[in-house]
Amino acid sequence: MIDEFRERLLNRHQVAAAWKEQTGGKVLGTFCCCVPEEIIHAAGMLPVRILGEHEETTEVDIHFPTNLCPYCKSCFDQALKGKYDYLDGFVIPNVCNVIKSMYGFCKLLLKAPYVHFVEVPQRLSSNGVNFFAEDLVEFKNSLEDFSGKQISNEALRNSIGVYNENRALLEEVYQLRRKSPPLISGSEAQEIVISSMLMPKEEHNRLLTQLLDWVESRDNLPGDGVRIFISASVLDDTDFLQLVEECGGMVVADDMPMGSRYFYGSVDSTGDALHALADRYLNKIACPRKMLPDERLAFADNMMKDAAVRGTIIHNMRACDPHLYEYPLLRQKMESKGLPVLFFRGEETETEREQQRADIEAFIEMLED
Amino acid sequence: MVTSTSARKSLQTTLEVPALRRSYYAQTQEDSKKGKKVAWCSNNIPSEILDAMDVTAVFLENYATVIASKRLASGFCAAGEKVGFSQDVCGYARMLMGYILARDEAPEAPYGGLAEPDFLLVNSYSCDSRMGWFSAMSRVLNLPLHVHDAPHQPDGASDSAANAEYTERELRSLVTFLEEQTGTKFEPDKLRKRLALSHQTSDIMFEVNELRKAVPCPMGSADMFTAVWPAMYLAGTKECEDFYNKLLAEIKERIAKGIGVVPEEKFRLMWSGIPFWYDMRLINYVEDFGGVVAIEGFYRSRERRPPVQDEDPIKDMALRSTRYRTFPSSIIASIDDVLDAVKEYKIDGVVLSFNPSCRLAYVSQTELQKSLEDRGIPTLGLECDMADERTYSEAQVKTRLDAFIERLLART
Amino acid sequence: MLVAGIDVGVRNVSAVVLRDGDILSYCILTSGEAGATVSRRAVEKAIENTTFDFTDLRYIVATGCGRNGIPFANRQSTEVVCQARGAFHLLPSVRTVINLGAESSRAIRVGEAGRVEAFAKNDKCAAGSGLFLETMSTVLETPVELMGELSLKANGWEDVSSICAVFAESEVISHIHRGVSRDRILVGVHRAVAGRILETLGTVGIKSDVMATGGVAKNAAVVKELEDKTGFSIIVPPEPQIVGALGAALLAQERAAKS
Repeated sequence: MIDEFRERLLNRHQVAAAWKEQTGGKVLGTFCCCVPEEIIHAAGMLPVRILGEHEETTEVDIHFPTNLCPYCKSCFDQALKGKYDYLDGFVIPNVCNVIKSMYGFCKLLLKAPYVHFVEVPQRLSSNGVNFFAEDLVEFKNSLEDFSGKQISNEALRNSIGVYNENRALLEEVYQLRRKSPPLISGSEAQEIVISSMLMPKEEHNRLLTQLLDWVESRDNLPGDGVRIFISASVLDDTDFLQLVEECGGMVVADDMPMGSRYFYGSVDSTGDALHALADRYLNKIACPRKMLPDERLAFADNMMKDAAVRGTIIHNMRACDPHLYEYPLLRQKMESKGLPVLFFRGEETETEREQQRADIEAFIEMLED
Repeated sequence: MVTSTSARKSLQTTLEVPALRRSYYAQTQEDSKKGKKVAWCSNNIPSEILDAMDVTAVFLENYATVIASKRLASGFCAAGEKVGFSQDVCGYARMLMGYILARDEAPEAPYGGLAEPDFLLVNSYSCDSRMGWFSAMSRVLNLPLHVHDAPHQPDGASDSAANAEYTERELRSLVTFLEEQTGTKFEPDKLRKRLALSHQTSDIMFEVNELRKAVPCPMGSADMFTAVWPAMYLAGTKECEDFYNKLLAEIKERIAKGIGVVPEEKFRLMWSGIPFWYDMRLINYVEDFGGVVAIEGFYRSRERRPPVQDEDPIKDMALRSTRYRTFPSSIIASIDDVLDAVKEYKIDGVVLSFNPSCRLAYVSQTELQKSLEDRGIPTLGLECDMADERTYSEAQVKTRLDAFIERLLART
Repeated sequence: MLVAGIDVGVRNVSAVVLRDGDILSYCILTSGEAGATVSRRAVEKAIENTTFDFTDLRYIVATGCGRNGIPFANRQSTEVVCQARGAFHLLPSVRTVINLGAESSRAIRVGEAGRVEAFAKNDKCAAGSGLFLETMSTVLETPVELMGELSLKANGWEDVSSICAVFAESEVISHIHRGVSRDRILVGVHRAVAGRILETLGTVGIKSDVMATGGVAKNAAVVKELEDKTGFSIIVPPEPQIVGALGAALLAQERAAKS
């Protein structure tokens, strides 16, 4: 049953294209967790997260320099290769320098009919929430123009409800990882979260409900690997967590955008819908670009609570400034809690898989010693 | 020790900058001793507001360029790397972290070091590094940090009332923070006066840049990379205005007499991106071949400052910054901007610096270069850190410049 | 009880034979193609110097990058754990191990019980490694074993400032063409190598006592540069290349005692 999630992840392009055909609806590609997907959902469209691939980039290198976020470059490479031709548009949030620049690059190099920039504030404040809420009105208006349909407040509240349900169900899944031994492995959990970003939320909720039913009687348990916590920047597929499992570890809790940071924190069910969205998407997503260290580290702490972890892996994508600046503090915090740290500076293609394997094996052996 | 790495200047006025800069830093030290509040700031923090509230602003990125120009960066950077700041991140940040955290291992700091701060001010909206860096400093120095935000507006100028309102509220939050820190009340009139001066200076800067279009070019980037300093760090002061009036007069004189940076111009270049602060003489290199770097991309003042939008100076600042965007915020605008400069300044070739640790400037360079080459405009890309001299090989860069110059001369 | 540890490295294979916790003998051979064959021979040669036989060995642990290709080993163990074990055995006050290998260098922080607390590896750049020094040895036409000694006698140095190994090599070549003395260049090279290693150390933090292990630890100039740059004095055991194999042998002993 659990394989359904991996299926959707591996076949994501077909999943989205099929949805388009069946419903006649539009699909919008997003970068980053801070795009309030509920509004897209309320417009009857399907938001999908754009992901990279573990292949050499061939098209993007004449457009982007080398020392840049490998994830963004890979995503753009996929788009240039035509893998995302089924998308009707892109929604780009105001996050980091590279993602911000995707707005201009999408307009320049990809002939998409719709490219919208969401002015997510760059610091957490009440000024920011108010502004964000107003900017979301612009976003809603532009989606209405593009879809030709009005988005009622009811529709928005309904979408928020569906998304909140997804968040609650994913939290339950995460509880299953904390058990000893875990009922769901790290790579499985990540597959479950990422697949949520790639398909209609209602369907994902349905699958999650089935999963929660099935898992208690699961007979192929993930195993008892050394319990690890991971704090990462973008890890857009499960290869890395699988590697940890191959080496005898098990990632039982995480602090990363393609994991906990995507779904933790629900949208307030009272008050103005757009304001509630602005509040959740600004204040509850633990992104080091905006959230200051104290709160960021508190989030990481919270994610590992009751998970009985023995060591922490910190994996930062190369050239990812927000995470690289946070690294010394995060490392210090982990070590002060008595958790040894293993640091990786990653690439999208991960050609250093064997080197990583050696380091992870050493780390696991060190923790077991 | 290395002899001067500063560019050879063509204008007398430019030569006044080092003294202005020295006295600025000395003043900040004196202010600190006198008990004035000192703020360590990132580049876009509006100094006019700080000045109006009698707070001394110390702009860290400029100090980083001073360290870099004295070729002391690698020592400071190494100290910063030692405490965990990756080589991938901004050279300025690594350098300053090294200065703060590992002062004993870093070389001696220029001007006797920075005036001790009372609090930190960072604008979060332009570059990723600043947030990470300033919050790390705030923690290490145990000082209050105020984060100042503004909308990105990738399409440029915007009439959005929401954008203007947010900008205004953020400016007011900054003022509130300063009031709390200083225990004094903000007086709008003081700001209004400084804005008026700063506004006037921008107009002069704009005129200066218009005059640089002349053939032969009366003032090139070799001068401007230094001459832009007062506008960036002494904005709203009489000193600043006087400096630019003098500069303008000198340029006008040179044009009247037909004096250019080089006597016989064979080709005109544009420098896109941040220059290599540890070897500014590089910009003069082309002059030996009859070339001139006539205009720069970064720091270029593109338009006259817009008229006053409101009597309330804070509202005025907010409206002007959202309704009039003078710098490109997207690749599309950057391409238009560089093509416009090529046309206006009669540019024959563009040198693009690729500074791998400055993501903000770096991200656009490849596409910019491609856009130029696709239109038959010769380009040269040089990849070096803007501050960390360990990444620089003078011999290699000159070899590439030689080839580029040959290519340009062959076309004329 | 007789046990053995093998360190199957990129350049060399070393084997240590331990009896009741004491080093009985060891052997270092240059790795050829067949790691298993050379490893076997290394153990056999070490055993030859004793009164024992290969069959007397109760337990064998293999470490090093080639550890998984040793069919006659009872168990594999990672280099980090073995280096820490071996160093701790030689010097119980050791708290930082700097392993200077052929392809990479690693820094290991050791706790009071000889257990690893943290480690970091520098393998992205070749400039901190033994192979880099070998390349320099060719370029400078100086045997590897003499590089350290000559460097220590030099008067001043020529900067080899490039961060990248490839650029560093071309920098050295241009120094040679300019007529800079070989010994001064050597100092620059050693400073550069130490500089690369230092970055790795930064992640892990240095605490004394500090020990350097691995083939490159035999280069007194590199060690001196590291001492100068870190401000810590660095102990080099008489045979720094066998520390990994020693650690493996100690682990073998622990395992054998349990079974």
